[in-house]
Amino acid sequence: MQNLTIQSSVDFVEVFSTKAGAIYQSDLENCWYVDFAGKLARFDYRNILKLKKAVYHIDIEDLLLNNTKSPDVEILFICACDHCYVLSLIEIIALKELLQGTFVMLELNHIIYDRLHRIIS
Amino acid sequence: MKDIMRVKCLLSSDVETLINQQIKKEAHSSAIYLSMASWCNRNGYDGSADYFFAQAEEERLHQLKFFKYVLDMGGNAVSPEITQVKAEYNSFREVFEEALEQEISVTQSIKNIAARCHKEQDFVTLEFLNWFFKEQREEEYKARRAVELFDVIGEEGTGRWQIDKHVGQITYSEA
Repeated sequence: MQNLTIQSSVDFVEVFSTKAGAIYQSDLENCWYVDFAGKLARFDYRNILKLKKAVYHIDIEDLLLNNTKSPDVEILFICACDHCYVLSLIEIIALKELLQGTFVMLELNHIIYDRLHRIIS
Repeated sequence: MKDIMRVKCLLSSDVETLINQQIKKEAHSSAIYLSMASWCNRNGYDGSADYFFAQAEEERLHQLKFFKYVLDMGGNAVSPEITQVKAEYNSFREVFEEALEQEISVTQSIKNIAARCHKEQDFVTLEFLNWFFKEQREEEYKARRAVELFDVIGEEGTGRWQIDKHVGQITYSEA
């Protein structure tokens, strides 16, 4: 049986969380863990940007307004990434909110680094 | 918390997006010049066709310079899709007037990137853009001079033939 060990959560720093999920950063692995839709998925730098692009590209307004009979489900498949999401419209909105918050926090962290740490050290 | 984004890439996502738009603009420019070369050649203005072939090549090099910069700084350079390239022109003069318009719009959009870099204190990209500003000085001068030839030489008689002959000789030198 394969033993799946996830590194202790001590390495994780929560970047942003909402009621629907959370995104953590692992400084040790240089990556992010996205806790959403019932799974914890690991995204490296390239893949999290691809995820962001994929989610931001979904035209939520169009999904809400079109009255075709297709189900309100989007499949988020990210090239060269192990994870795939099959999300309902509500979940897409929640994931977008989560990602937007995350990128704002990362930007804030960048500003703090840029204006403070790199000048003092 | 480590600033992983910054470790991986020097450019902010806004600047990266702007440069990618510029890549598209340069590619579009190159395609327009090629189209102008085609029009000139078809209408018997071989000198001008050669001038526009050279311009198309130059715009392509600008595009690649931006492209490589984004990649070198750790960003994602996007190969653009080029559509809506005008193929027909009403007159010989119109071709050159549009070429000048094109150069002005390129200068404006590089200024726009620089303004953003100033705001973010991205001095690295600003320094990189300086090369383009210098280049635009020459490009705009050449395009403006070409339009000027239409007034100086005039289109009557063998005027257009003269203009076609002289377009290729326009050079720019500082001081």
